[in-house]
Amino acid sequence: MEETVVAMEELDVELSAAKVETKPIEMSTKGVSVWFGKRKILENVNIDFQKKSVTALIGPSGCGKSTFIRTLNRLHELIPGAALAGEVLYEGEDIYRQDVDPVQIRLSIGMVFQKPNPFPSMTIRGNVLSGLKLSGIKRPDHDSLVEQTLTSAGLWKEVKDRLNSPAGDLSGGQQQRLVIARALAVNPHVLLMDEPCSALDPASTLKIEETIRQLSKDITIIIVTHNMQQAVRVSDYTAFFLAEENQPGYVVEQGPTTEIFGNPRDQRTLDYVNGRFG
Amino acid sequence: MTILMSEVPPIRKEDIAPQRPWSRRPASFWFAAFLGTAVPFAIFGGLFFVTELPVPVLLIAFYLPLQLIGAGLAGYSAKGKHGIADSSIIVLAIGATTLSAIVLGSMLLIIIVRGFAAMRPSFIFQNSVYISPSTPLEYGGIGHAIVGTFLIVGIATIISVPFGIATAVYVTEIRGRAVPYVRFFIQAMSGVPSVVAGLFVLTVFILTGVLSQSAIAAAIAYAILMLPTVARTAEEVLKLVPEDLRTGALALGSTRARVVLNVVIPAARTGIITAMLLGIARVVGETAPLLLTALKNDQTVLNPLSDPISALPTFIFDNVAQPYPDAVTRAWGAALALMILVSILFTVTRFLSARKPRR
Repeated sequence: MEETVVAMEELDVELSAAKVETKPIEMSTKGVSVWFGKRKILENVNIDFQKKSVTALIGPSGCGKSTFIRTLNRLHELIPGAALAGEVLYEGEDIYRQDVDPVQIRLSIGMVFQKPNPFPSMTIRGNVLSGLKLSGIKRPDHDSLVEQTLTSAGLWKEVKDRLNSPAGDLSGGQQQRLVIARALAVNPHVLLMDEPCSALDPASTLKIEETIRQLSKDITIIIVTHNMQQAVRVSDYTAFFLAEENQPGYVVEQGPTTEIFGNPRDQRTLDYVNGRFG
Repeated sequence: MTILMSEVPPIRKEDIAPQRPWSRRPASFWFAAFLGTAVPFAIFGGLFFVTELPVPVLLIAFYLPLQLIGAGLAGYSAKGKHGIADSSIIVLAIGATTLSAIVLGSMLLIIIVRGFAAMRPSFIFQNSVYISPSTPLEYGGIGHAIVGTFLIVGIATIISVPFGIATAVYVTEIRGRAVPYVRFFIQAMSGVPSVVAGLFVLTVFILTGVLSQSAIAAAIAYAILMLPTVARTAEEVLKLVPEDLRTGALALGSTRARVVLNVVIPAARTGIITAMLLGIARVVGETAPLLLTALKNDQTVLNPLSDPISALPTFIFDNVAQPYPDAVTRAWGAALALMILVSILFTVTRFLSARKPRR
């Protein structure tokens, strides 16, 4: 814990100096509440996600972060009993409007999950191109697409000589970068990441964080993480979720990551980012 | 500061209600769905009265393709291009399910309708002593055959389930050298014709004088038929138990025997009960082995070791070929009773096995 505090203080100095510029808003939620059956999971979440920035969602387990991120690309509705109120705006339009095709939404808003989930029956190359096959999108020059997305995901050098070997042969960290490449191949504008590093070793985590920083030059990234140093390292903005026992989760505080970690306005945020609970 | 909670006024609790925006469909979808179903159905109905083609042919050749087009249009109106593929899959799945339901349902219906004529308390509780095929339905019943079925299937279950689970444990937990041969053998055994099982018991146990034709002899024949089903299903469900549970138990200092008995089998309990039920379902209607090993008996027999015994399948077999309508009705009644008994057995077992683990 002491280490954390020291690291925070160092970063504090470094990051406060950096100017936080305001970018146009890519996605935002307006009064989003979420239920499973009768149980309310989230209450009144309002967050703006700025274009080509990284937003970290932090908070203790069970506060609804993962549920929230799944409402952003309409995966939430696949769970029986799921319900929702409020609006999720993507490029100014509510993605839950009646005439919006969820397939189109998920093409624009990709996702990477906690556990690496490459398709075991496909090769490395096949996995990268699987999004095109599954969605019926035609894109020219598969070879350069494979190279380009694997390079973006920081995996190209490691696998370029064995693109046709099964994806299952890769290590956990490599598999996770492979599914990032797979998500990128359909050219999304937003990438959701639900604790993408929680099952990985520190070296792989570092590689994925580099990847995230690189990717945020081109796309918007929303990442759920339990690792506070990771939030500091990769994100521009942070939203802190909290849920009291048996109560729906809500956003305690949100803003530039430097503010949330350096100068939080809420005592609970201060306690959480300093590792005093959660 | 660009984004703050306070920018949006907090919504009061009573203002918001849970909604499912994804299940809303535009009116044009409902219109297309209605039209896409009603028109094919009308054409199907018209062809049915005009052409005298059999119903399955009409369903597959005319109704289903038209319904597919209708559903595709409805899907297109709701979701555009992606809606077509999704709605076609849904229609194909519903179509295939409906066809199987029609085939199975009509059989069920005929058993219920014909069998219901025989149903009365005396039919369930009395035996068939002094009853000839021409005796009116008011007299006699299948009580003795129900008892016979319970006795034979019960003993067969007691024999085959432990053997089946033990075989599955050998294959999945002990993983001995003979595993491939055992699995091949079980696979091959599941193809044994039921009459051969009966003949086996007849030659090995009955003609040698070890057993007489009785419930126990029939139960052995049934157990031979049940064993491959139970063993195979139990193997599949034990394989589904995560390896982590086994290593977790071993890491607590458990012996392998304890791992199997206290962790693996309890974790697979519901599946093992399914294995047992599938085994029972495999044999409960088998007639041929009973004809060789149990013969028939109009008395109610409670001693499984000595006397010939009737069971529901042999009762049906005896009565269905009689030239008397009442005897044939009895056979339908026995078939209905067999179905009801199996349903009750399955429902009760499912209910009991679905209980939460005890604290």
